[in-house]
Amino acid sequence: MSEASAVANKTTVSNSDYIWRYEYYDDEPVSFEGLKAHKYSIVIGFWVGLAVFVIFMFFILTLLTKTGAPHQENVDLSTKQHRTNSFAINYIMSRSDKAFSHRENEEPRSLFHCYVNEIVQLERQQFVNKAHGAGNSDLTTRGREGRSDSSDDPMNCLTKFNIPNFVSSDQSSSLTEDDLLMCEQPIIPENKPDRLQDIHNISD
Amino acid sequence: MAGVNMSLGTEATISPDHTDVTNSSWLLNRTVPERNGSVQVTGSAVKECTQISIPTEVYLILAGISLLENLLVIIAVIKNRNLHSPMYFFICSLAISDILLSLTKAWEAVTISVISGKEHLFTHVLIKILDDIYDSLLCISFTASVFNLAAITTDRYITIFHALRYHNIMTKKRVAVIIAAIWIFCTFTGIIMISFAKYDGIVSFFFILFFITLVLILSLYIFIFLLAQVHAKQIRSLPGYRAHQRTNFKGALRLTILLGIFIVCWAPFSLHFTLYLFCPSNPYCACFICLFQVDLIFIMCHSIIDPLIYAFQNPELCNTFKKMLCCFKRHA
Repeated sequence: MSEASAVANKTTVSNSDYIWRYEYYDDEPVSFEGLKAHKYSIVIGFWVGLAVFVIFMFFILTLLTKTGAPHQENVDLSTKQHRTNSFAINYIMSRSDKAFSHRENEEPRSLFHCYVNEIVQLERQQFVNKAHGAGNSDLTTRGREGRSDSSDDPMNCLTKFNIPNFVSSDQSSSLTEDDLLMCEQPIIPENKPDRLQDIHNISD
Repeated sequence: MAGVNMSLGTEATISPDHTDVTNSSWLLNRTVPERNGSVQVTGSAVKECTQISIPTEVYLILAGISLLENLLVIIAVIKNRNLHSPMYFFICSLAISDILLSLTKAWEAVTISVISGKEHLFTHVLIKILDDIYDSLLCISFTASVFNLAAITTDRYITIFHALRYHNIMTKKRVAVIIAAIWIFCTFTGIIMISFAKYDGIVSFFFILFFITLVLILSLYIFIFLLAQVHAKQIRSLPGYRAHQRTNFKGALRLTILLGIFIVCWAPFSLHFTLYLFCPSNPYCACFICLFQVDLIFIMCHSIIDPLIYAFQNPELCNTFKKMLCCFKRHA
């Protein structure tokens, strides 16, 4: 790599000046005779290849988003639902307000937290459904329930949202996801006051 | 005819021909006779690929912008207690490595422009030591930058895929240990790389490092993106929901920008060292190698863009920053 030996040889030259600049020398002189292609062909090829790769990657990612084409397109232009999907993407991409790490949230973003929580609930519900072989109806009910609840009671969402915090900051670090789900069992989606009660029971 | 020095971007050479040392000739005269033997042999500078040099002012401007942005990020994270979480600590570490990179590059450019033409005032040993120190710091900051990006990506991956156990996995102590380990390893690597720069394996080390980190970052982000699609599909399948392709498109665009900028800014530098290892005398490779300073500019641009895509995409951090600006305006 470095021609330390060549430099060492040069130190014997007494009348030499030390030049410090941005330059690269080659061991043997580079002959530019008889070039078949343009001399900057590697440079051009590299940048074109890079641009093609980035564009290709973008198309692949866009294709991945389009494969889940919606089966039903409702005329109902609910902005809440729009925000749900956008927060699903933005939550995962930006990870902005991770209320996982904050118990108190002075920011008035309860709706955002609710939709984030909704995703976590969906995941948990899927685990529960797998465990009990329940159908998709629970998921649907819970999802709908979560959304309608969240719009009515922001405090409810904030309290719900603290569940991972409370449980995981518990002394037993050996808690696995299954244990957390078992704790969540008593929560009944339909009954809101009971859910609050259960949440407080878990947290205490 | 001077030898080759594989230090990063600078070269301490001893030239027996001291006719061109009078002023900062390296900026102006790039076809000095002793630079490349082939010039003297062929006599025609038209077909030559000469080293493209960037003026010092460009380095200083880029370094200034990068320093400003990354300092703002660090100050915002320190001031806001809500931002004292593992994710923001990693972003802070990335900001520190970017600051180190820009400062080192700027100082090196200034030092070269000051010293060139006045070499007789300084001892050889001093210049060589300065050269080595700058190259080591650059090496440290490059590797630290890349590792911090990988750490941020891993942190996001754990947040998504192990959401319920995130607090147990990423305790504050563990985060401190990870960040310290990254910096210690990078310092060690940087010093070793410059001390043993004459061995080819060291150069290939950087390329391998970049490639492994790129693959890691790519695969983690693809996993995260796929999970986002799964979630989006679940939410879409709920009744009464109308699909909005635009938001998915924005997610894909954001991910492409993030990965694309990393690849575009770091790939030229890595390819440079690869070509230097395998085909230094090939004329095509030599023309790419002559663009070394442009590669460095790209890396400095990456350190400018990093806060924009990692830190300032964060609403909380943006709000903190706006509050800081408002306070500053009120005081001023």
